[in-house]
Amino acid sequence: MTPGLRKFALTVHLTLSVGWIGAVAAYLALGVAAVTSQDTQTVRAAWIAMELTGWFVIVPLALAALFTGIVMSLGTPWGLFRHYWVMISLVLTILSTAVLLLHMPDVSSLANVAREADGADLAGLGGDLLHPGVGLLVLLGITALNVYKPRGMTRYGWCKEQEERRKRHEQPTVLVP
Amino acid sequence: MGDLRPYPGTPRWVTVLGIVALVLILLVSILLFAGVGGPHGPRRHTPSNGPGGHTPPSSVTDDHTRPAVVLTPTHRP
Repeated sequence: MTPGLRKFALTVHLTLSVGWIGAVAAYLALGVAAVTSQDTQTVRAAWIAMELTGWFVIVPLALAALFTGIVMSLGTPWGLFRHYWVMISLVLTILSTAVLLLHMPDVSSLANVAREADGADLAGLGGDLLHPGVGLLVLLGITALNVYKPRGMTRYGWCKEQEERRKRHEQPTVLVP
Repeated sequence: MGDLRPYPGTPRWVTVLGIVALVLILLVSILLFAGVGGPHGPRRHTPSNGPGGHTPPSSVTDDHTRPAVVLTPTHRP
C-alpha cells in the first residue's frame, strides 16, 4: 500500500469503527428508554428505532469495519497474525459481529411484537441492555488495543521476522567501483 | 549471517487477558447452563404457555375488528 492509500484506508477504517461505537451507544440509550419509560408510545418507538438502527446502521458499520480492518492489516507490515494486538482485535471484532448478526433477528421479532402490542404487554417486553452493554465494552477494549498497540509478537510473526532478517543478510552486496 | 534470536515467549498481558477471557467464558457458560435469567432469545420477554413457548401478547391475538357487543338486528315491519 502506498502511504497515501494507507492513510485513506486508515481514515475509512477509523471512521467506521468509531461510528460503530457511537451507533451502539445510541442503541443502548434506546434500550434504556424501552426499559424505563412508562409511556406506551415511547416504548413502541424505542423498539422500532432499535430495529432500524441495528439493521441499517450497526450491522453495515460492523461488517465494513471488519472488512477495512482486514484490508489494513494485510496491506501494512502489521499483518493479521504477526502481532497479538492485531490478532486479538480481529478475533473480538469477528465475535462481536457474529453475536450482532445472531441477535438482530430477536430484535426484529420483539420490534414486531411492540408494533402491535399495547399497555401491559408492552411493559412486559422489557429491554435489550445486556447485548449492547457488553458489546460496547468489547468495542472500547478493541479501540484501546488499536491505540496503545501493546508489544508482543506471535510465534508466527517472530518466525516471519527472523526469516526476513536472514534473507536481508543473505542478499549479495553489490560493490560499486 | 544475521543473529537469529529464539522466540521470547507470550507476553504477560496476553496471558492475563487469556485468563480473564477464560474465566468470563466459564462464568457465562455456568450461568447459561444453570438457566439464570430464563431462556435466551426473544422468548424470555414474552409470556409462554404450551410446548410452543412463544405466545404473542393478548393485545396482538385479540381480534379488534369484531365488535365486542353483538347487535340485535332491527326488524322492519
